[in-house]
Amino acid sequence: MKWPDIKKKLRWWGYLATEAYNAPYRGTIARAKREQDDLFMLLIFSEMMGVPNPVAYYTLELQPIMLERFHEWHTRMGMEHSPLDGFRCC
Amino acid sequence: MDRLFDRRIIFVGGKGGVGKTTTAGALGLMAAAAGRTTLLVSTDPAHSLGDVFDMPIGNEETALGPNLTGLEIDPEAEAESHVATVKMSMKSLVAPKMYAEIDRQLELARHSPGTMEAALLERMADLMADAKSRFDLLIFDTAPSGHTIRLLALPELMAAWTDGMLGYRDRSRKLGELLDMFGKQHSREDEFGMIGGSKDEPDPSRDGRIQDILLTRRRKFHRARELLTDKSVTAFLLVLNAERLPILESKKTLDLLSKFDVPVAGMIVNRLLPRDADGDFLKERRRQEDEYLAEIDQTFAKLQRVYLHLLPHDVHGVDTLREIGEAIVEQLGIERGGGAGVPR
Repeated sequence: MKWPDIKKKLRWWGYLATEAYNAPYRGTIARAKREQDDLFMLLIFSEMMGVPNPVAYYTLELQPIMLERFHEWHTRMGMEHSPLDGFRCC
Repeated sequence: MDRLFDRRIIFVGGKGGVGKTTTAGALGLMAAAAGRTTLLVSTDPAHSLGDVFDMPIGNEETALGPNLTGLEIDPEAEAESHVATVKMSMKSLVAPKMYAEIDRQLELARHSPGTMEAALLERMADLMADAKSRFDLLIFDTAPSGHTIRLLALPELMAAWTDGMLGYRDRSRKLGELLDMFGKQHSREDEFGMIGGSKDEPDPSRDGRIQDILLTRRRKFHRARELLTDKSVTAFLLVLNAERLPILESKKTLDLLSKFDVPVAGMIVNRLLPRDADGDFLKERRRQEDEYLAEIDQTFAKLQRVYLHLLPHDVHGVDTLREIGEAIVEQLGIERGGGAGVPR
């Protein structure tokens, strides 16, 4: 085995070891972040989900930005189309 | 209260029907006469500022005389333009067949409770922040007490809301950074031809835009709150009559104002019966009034007070307002000398 090949092998094992350690954390953190973002989005769209929102005037201006995320959310939740009658994004 | 016109913002408040609009109008005329460019703003949804000045005002700044401009805020128009802006940006993001849906949805939002209040507050906050460059003095003729207190409390409540929302964003951002740390190794993916890993946000600029909107909001609320509670900038004037209910309500208003740290400059006791009015009926009313005046003296001992008499005619047009304004200014002069008292 030539030296560059050994180096590549070693790097490969190093990569696998790091990933074995990191991957579970990454998954957990990614889930936590996604949950945080979902919560934020639901707060923005709360009025449409039947939760009275005293600050509707201010959440309104954030809705256009969250539209895409809303779509991503309901597809992820296993609903092909928007679950809200009065509000469809697709 | 003697340096009243040195303030930048004056709120005139009190129970319904005690003479807030008249007082605000009279003060506006006096301030204008003293050479201060003044904007008189009515925030009561049932406007009567134009009626007092006997000229139509409306949602546009209207000249009422030398140095004096009037404005009747129309919260409905404010809300409408706000919703229209949102509609525009939403329509740029979705398919045209969704337009009707968006129109319907946002129409509902426009009529949801709190929207009018928020729209009104928004306009007031804008005025308080921007008017400085155009006017020396801003006088708000407010709606009856309860409504106004709510309005003055809103900046604090709303600032708490934006803070909370920004907190969520912050937590999300921190998690994202953490994720990047663990994901750094991923740059080697290509090298090994691996697939997978975290999917990127579909629109990376989105977080920034959300942050911007929330921060702009927060800045606005904090600024309004700062102005509202600054003694050298803002003065709240309570108008009341020497009657039972206005006294009780003024007491409550005063408590709430101090709870929200809004500086109260003084009190205007309006519509006192003239000493020379005769008849047994009026004598009896006056006896009662004296009791209430004593109660006012006792309850509001710490506040400076101005006393105004009931006029034999309606308040209608600039001349009557000037008459009232001069009475107020004259008493302010008396107050300055130290010898306050009921001028009877």
